[in-house]
Amino acid sequence: MKRPAFARGMWVALGVLWLAAMGVGFSLLTRHSLTPGDRQEAPSRWPEEARPPRVEGRPTLVMLAHPRCPCTRASLGELAVVMEHARGRLDARVLFLRPEGTTGDWTQGALWRAAAGIPGVRVLADEGGTQARLFGAVTSGHSLLYDAEGRLRFSGGLTAARGHRGDNPGRDAVEALLRDSGGSGGTSEHGVYGCALEEPPGVRATNTP
Amino acid sequence: MKLSEDVSGPTVALKERAVLLFREHLGAVRRRTDRLFAGLMLAQWAFGILVALFVAPYGWGGKDGAPHAHVYAALFLGAALTVFPIALARWRPGDAATRHGVALAQMLWSSLLIHLTGGRVETHFHVFVSLAFLALYRDPWVLLSATCATIADHIIRGFLWPESVYGVVDPEWWRFLEHGFWVGILDMVLLHAGRGMRREMREVAVRRAELELAREREEEKSAALDRALRELSGFQEHLIRVEKLAAVGQLAASVGHELRNPLAAVRNAHAYLSRRLSRDVIGAADDPRVPQFLGVMERELGACAKIISDLLDFARERPPALQPCPLRPLVDEAIGVVPPRDGVRIINEVPESLPVPSLDKEQFRQVLVNLVQNAVEAMPTGRTGQVSVLAEGQDAGPWAIRVIDDGAGIPPDVLPKIFEPLFTTKTRGTGLGLAIVANMVQRHGGTISVRSEAGRGSEFHIHLPATAAAQAA
Repeated sequence: MKRPAFARGMWVALGVLWLAAMGVGFSLLTRHSLTPGDRQEAPSRWPEEARPPRVEGRPTLVMLAHPRCPCTRASLGELAVVMEHARGRLDARVLFLRPEGTTGDWTQGALWRAAAGIPGVRVLADEGGTQARLFGAVTSGHSLLYDAEGRLRFSGGLTAARGHRGDNPGRDAVEALLRDSGGSGGTSEHGVYGCALEEPPGVRATNTP
Repeated sequence: MKLSEDVSGPTVALKERAVLLFREHLGAVRRRTDRLFAGLMLAQWAFGILVALFVAPYGWGGKDGAPHAHVYAALFLGAALTVFPIALARWRPGDAATRHGVALAQMLWSSLLIHLTGGRVETHFHVFVSLAFLALYRDPWVLLSATCATIADHIIRGFLWPESVYGVVDPEWWRFLEHGFWVGILDMVLLHAGRGMRREMREVAVRRAELELAREREEEKSAALDRALRELSGFQEHLIRVEKLAAVGQLAASVGHELRNPLAAVRNAHAYLSRRLSRDVIGAADDPRVPQFLGVMERELGACAKIISDLLDFARERPPALQPCPLRPLVDEAIGVVPPRDGVRIINEVPESLPVPSLDKEQFRQVLVNLVQNAVEAMPTGRTGQVSVLAEGQDAGPWAIRVIDDGAGIPPDVLPKIFEPLFTTKTRGTGLGLAIVANMVQRHGGTISVRSEAGRGSEFHIHLPATAAAQAA
């Protein structure tokens, strides 16, 4: 008679442990999704060394992206929404990292094609990550919006979590700035959710899974 | 009161049995569903890993890639989500705890898959499909568990990370109610369907219980019938024993009666001879009555021997020793044994070309002797007549042997009794002759019948089955 009671107790204990493990597992997963990548200070004005140079008198959005980061697909999706809403009032370019020692095929994959398919977006390779370093971007999907005068108005990601599309404060901020393109307010910042563009030890520890 | 007990008894038993059958069936269905979910969990695990590998195989740092967190989540979190319900299904199949554990795991699988697919709205359909699968348990409480888990997930994630569940950053606080409403609608449909299925299962259980009860009743009746048959068989055996004893008594009386007359004659003859021999031994040789009495003694002792021989023939249960036995010579032999009678002609009409049947020669000779002698004795005194013995048959066909006389015939009231032992209309006879004939024919697997007409004679017809001829051939 004691054995079934013991067995029942064991199963109850196992169930509680299992639920706790599920709680921990989903919490970790959620934390991973909601933890933004590393960021560095972006130049407050359009850097003269940036290539190609921006078109004077038009706002420009630059997205620094890793060509193989799965989270960046969501960022490109949000960029497509921004471009659609901008209706030609925005120059956008996506600079895909091309690390030294890699071929063009490594960079020009599915994400490259997806970015190239967004109307009004110019897709370029960032040889050796020089442009990313110039703009202070260390996480894929980092987007910077410079206004018509070349002032930095937005720095951050266009998604609210890793790999998740949907409404988010970053995209809303960019669209709000575009609607108010003549304004001269401060800079809006937002977390960036994506893979590390480079691999400095500290960056990798926080940006990669 | 007694009547109501009699009526309600089977009804209560029927209800109890129906409830038991329903529970057994429901238990079997739930155990089967446990197994189904165990397989489904494994399939979901494999699917989750594939989704992770397809959607986000690597996380990157420059040109170096490492497996993405989603791959680890699909592997390890998926394993935990899979193993526990499988363990429950394996070691506690059919338990309510297993069903609820499976329901919880299944809804968490929805969350994980939604997460792995980057919050795709399409993956939310997994929730609805899971509820449909869980309805197979036919347990409304399991649907409630799953629904509560889903709503709790929506509330918690809606609070912590609304975009992952609603697709918007700042949803209304009641948004979970909207999602819960559609889940509730599906629950209503599934509950309705489940209730219908349970009702059908109950009806099936009642029908099965009725069938079992009817079968039990039939078995009881059959057992009672078997008992009655056994009792009847016992009574029959008892009756046969009694009849045998009665027959033995009757036979003893008859035999005693039949033996008394010849023995009395023998005793008288013996007394006379004793007296005569004691008085004058030499002169007795000239006494003409001495050989006369010796003849009487021989005749009467012969009659005694005949009675005892017939009795033995009737009583002996020796099975026939079949052997090829040509019929025509056998009939000749039998005719030779029967004492001739003036004016009565015995004709052997058995064809010489007749195939040879397989018979017990001794027994069948006795049969023919009895029938022929009976026919000869049936002839009225002072009248001429004829007795014919005929036979016909083929190698692979039945055989017929007929003994026909043109005597006085057998009265209709006597005809049904002539094969009964100890029945006789003769002044001297044991009444065993025709009984012996019938007995021996039966032992050969054959039948004997008689047709008779007053004043025109009788015909005894022996019918032997085809096997006799076949064996002989």
